[in-house]
Amino acid sequence: MFYENSTRTRTSFEIAGKILGADITNFSVAQSSVNKGESLLDTAKTLQAMNIDLVIIRHASSGASEFLAKQLRAGVINGGDGQHAHPTQALLDFFTMKERWGDFRGKKILIVGDILHSRVARSNALGLKKLGAEVVLIGPPTLLPPEMSYLGVRTSYNLDRELPGADAVMALRLQLERQQSGLFPSLREYNRLYGLTKERIAKTGKDTIVLHPGPLNRGVEISSDLADSVQSVIEEQVTNGVAVRMALIYLLMGGGTGNVVA
Amino acid sequence: MLWLKNVHLLDPGQGFSGPASLLVKDGRIAGVSKQPFSEDEVLNILGAAGLEEVSQVDGEGKYLFPGLVDAHVHLREPGQEDKEDINSGSRAAVKGGFTSVLAMANTQPVVDTRALVEFVRLQGERAGLARVYPVAAVTKGFQGKELTEMVDLKEGGAVAFSDDGHGIQRAETMRLALEYAKLTGCPLISHCEDDSLAAGGAMRRGKACARLGLKGIPASAESVMVARDALLAGETGGKIHIAHVSTKESVRIIRAAKKLGIDISAEVNPHHLLFTDEDVQLTDTSYKVNPPLPSQEDQEALLEGLLDGTIDMLATDHAPHTWEEKMRPFAEAPFGINGLETALAALWQNFVIKGLIKPEKVIELWSLRPALRFGLEAGTLKIGAPADMVLFDPNRRETITPQSLESKAQNTPFLGKELQGFPVMVWVGGKPVMENRKIIGKD
Repeated sequence: MFYENSTRTRTSFEIAGKILGADITNFSVAQSSVNKGESLLDTAKTLQAMNIDLVIIRHASSGASEFLAKQLRAGVINGGDGQHAHPTQALLDFFTMKERWGDFRGKKILIVGDILHSRVARSNALGLKKLGAEVVLIGPPTLLPPEMSYLGVRTSYNLDRELPGADAVMALRLQLERQQSGLFPSLREYNRLYGLTKERIAKTGKDTIVLHPGPLNRGVEISSDLADSVQSVIEEQVTNGVAVRMALIYLLMGGGTGNVVA
Repeated sequence: MLWLKNVHLLDPGQGFSGPASLLVKDGRIAGVSKQPFSEDEVLNILGAAGLEEVSQVDGEGKYLFPGLVDAHVHLREPGQEDKEDINSGSRAAVKGGFTSVLAMANTQPVVDTRALVEFVRLQGERAGLARVYPVAAVTKGFQGKELTEMVDLKEGGAVAFSDDGHGIQRAETMRLALEYAKLTGCPLISHCEDDSLAAGGAMRRGKACARLGLKGIPASAESVMVARDALLAGETGGKIHIAHVSTKESVRIIRAAKKLGIDISAEVNPHHLLFTDEDVQLTDTSYKVNPPLPSQEDQEALLEGLLDGTIDMLATDHAPHTWEEKMRPFAEAPFGINGLETALAALWQNFVIKGLIKPEKVIELWSLRPALRFGLEAGTLKIGAPADMVLFDPNRRETITPQSLESKAQNTPFLGKELQGFPVMVWVGGKPVMENRKIIGKD
């Protein structure tokens, strides 16, 4: 159920399900129908009545997936809820990094951009911290307010100062509408301070990998030459996303437990 | 005629707390005594021929206090009767110990004409339980532009003016309203919320909010407008009451304004004293309220302000919503906590029993002070006062369930929880309206 626009997450889940042989129904909903039409609760009840085994939900409201999980007997996978969490994205990011490094201990990972509005940043910071990595959240003060310290990781406004020693840099998608809300003055200045380029990444002094959850704003948060370079693992992330989601679907269907859904 | 014996009378209006007996005749208090009345005295004072004409109530082990006055309730009628109506809201009020309530104007249509004020008052009289006092809008249609006909509205029964539910964004509108309301002598109740700061937020901005991924409402969204309104009240000499204070900065501003002699009063809602932003869960929208639940630090300042007199009164901000509306993801659910039937018990259990607030203080804050501020004949049980009374059992425990609530709505964080300290009998104008937790009225 994708209440928000999504290409890669929805397609990734669909392909993962198809490879596993699941029957998939795409319940694509324009966000406005939440208020105008059926409530999320009634939608949940409808799905229940159709004996669906697993629901994947993407929703603009934080907590929507938890809300659904409380109402349904079916398994629920959070495909991104509001600004709250995007656990499958975080898992595929971890997998991508793990493939490279094997171990997270001693690794320094920078997450750069609109931290405040990012469910990707939240889920990544929580998980990477647990895995033993050093995480630094970086962005302008308007997009990285003091309360983000709840994550218990270091925050900084200065990308250039944090780059040395970084093993991975993750750029977040900048929603261009934020400029109209006054959260940053211009793409030009944003790019100057936080845009990832080949020259900038060279400052790490390491064989640093570059991640991005997509879709890219080329020339804003990441330059094309960097996005398409060998340092970029953006396409690997997409490929790994299918594998991670296959694993999740398999496990939630009871895989490996002897309790497999018929 | 009524003879109340062996009660512990809590009446800060008479500066009295202790064992007492009371007599009621023609809806008013006819006698109050620390010593028990003899039968002859009772017959004499009441002018009764025999004791058979006098109902007797033994209040051993219970408190008797003047009916609570709630300066902030939403009864939703006219127009939103699926949430609540004046009858169900009045039932909830007396069940919770409130004999007078100020009904806010954010109904559909907004209560901005005399006809509507009189309708609200009449519906209150028809319900025949609590005294329902209309609060009329400050601006026509809550548009924040043209003032309402305040003099006419007052003559129709309005006791205060408020666009509660919305902050008045234009400072000049507020200034003019404070000036014009002088013609009525009624306070303006200000819902302080700067829309540009609060817009789209679902809870108080802070770490809990960041963790839940919700858009935050900063404390400043309230406090900047409290400061503005305090300044405007000072400049105009108008009379202002700040609704639902929820931040430490607001408390500081009100304290400073009072020192300067500005005619400002303020209320705090029990839920802001009982819960913080850390209590908010994404799947329980009964914690979604406006102003949002405060930080721990703000909460401590609220209690301090309440105890040192900066905040004048308690008020529920009873805000019923239907189950369907609240059964949504957090960001999409409406703001509001249903309060009339749980507020006193919750406060009693968490503050009075723990010794943080004295029983006498509760009655002062929730009966005497609001009655004085809004000019109501209520708040004390002196001889001659209306016999609006609550007999209160401090030991009675009840679990709050959808079935136990008189309100049409169940949006309370106390659902399924046990509370202690409930009214067991309530009178309005000497007439019993609730006895043994059952409403005595129509329906």
